Amino acid sequence: MSEEQIRKLLQDADATARGPVFGPIAAGRIRQRIHRRRVVRSAALTGAAAIVVIAAALWITCMRPQKTQPEQQRIVSLEAQVRQLQVQTNATLKLVQEILERDRQERHLASLEAELSSIPEPMMEIERQVDKTAFILVYQADKLYKELNQTESAVAAYKEVIQLFPKSRWADVAKERLSQIEERQINKSDTEGEPTCEPGTV
Amino acid sequence: MSAMAKMSEEQALVERFRRGDDSAFDRIVERHSAELAALSNRLLGWPGDVDDVVQDVFVAAFTGLRAFRGQCCLRTWLFTIAINKCRSRRFRRRLRPVRVADMEAVAGLDHGGDKAAIDEEQAARVRRAVQTLPQKYREVVVLRYLQGLETAEICELLGTRVNAVQVRLNRARKRLKEQLGDLLEEKS
Repeated sequence: MSEEQIRKLLQDADATARGPVFGPIAAGRIRQRIHRRRVVRSAALTGAAAIVVIAAALWITCMRPQKTQPEQQRIVSLEAQVRQLQVQTNATLKLVQEILERDRQERHLASLEAELSSIPEPMMEIERQVDKTAFILVYQADKLYKELNQTESAVAAYKEVIQLFPKSRWADVAKERLSQIEERQINKSDTEGEPTCEPGTV
Repeated sequence: MSAMAKMSEEQALVERFRRGDDSAFDRIVERHSAELAALSNRLLGWPGDVDDVVQDVFVAAFTGLRAFRGQCCLRTWLFTIAINKCRSRRFRRRLRPVRVADMEAVAGLDHGGDKAAIDEEQAARVRRAVQTLPQKYREVVVLRYLQGLETAEICELLGTRVNAVQVRLNRARKRLKEQLGDLLEEKS
């Protein structure tokens, strides 16, 4: 079983086998095939690129709303919140202004009331003033009568007090002085005595 | 024509092709197509129809011929392409389910009683034995015993060392003897 026997056996088997079948191969066919392959390759590349572009476009189209919608919603909600805050701020400001105005009014009212309370009762004041005026008139009349010895002027003054302030106590005092003056004139005419006036009793 | 003259002529054809002369490629195709077809037929298990493989080889050659550096002869370069094409084709075929027609074509089912039929059956058996060898053994067997290449040429084609090719040949022979021992004894 030498190498030659194997070679012979193989060559016999090869000789009896079907020979290679192939058509006439021309360089033109090869070139056509290469051209066709290039066309197919470029078409495949173009198709792949187109698919990638379409896929990218679709992806962008699909993803953009999903991406921007929450942002828009967030912006809208933020705007609504801002508007709400503005409304709240305006309301608060208005309320603060109202409170300040009321406070100012209350303080003004309090000051007015304080001022008013500081003012004495008008009627009482009038009465006091009336009383004071009546006293002054009586006092002056007493001075006229006792110190200046002007009896007529003093009597006129007492009469004036009685006329002007008939309800005051000084009208009574004036009446009493007048009666005293009359008594003294009567007595004077009788005894030539001097009338006396006591301002300390006023 | 001597080998040197043949090489220089092939080199001239390649140069002409590089310069844009399409007729040079026609000449290359014409010169090598039969040999490439025979090699492809043997490497693929004698299917007969090897038109596609040969065309693929020349398409690859047309594309790569401008880059061919001339470090080996054109025939060796084309054989290398053919071997690679056959490998990839066999690989693709292995991935495909085997058709019944292919099996019948390989087996040669016609069992007649006459001498010719018996010879044919024996030849089919030998071819089956070659086909069932592992790729690295099958290639050296085909290149050595059927294409008639020298060991140095086989080394150049397969890109291996001489002793590796010899080892593969020994092992391939051993396997063939195991399978075809009776036929070899008969012949002797």
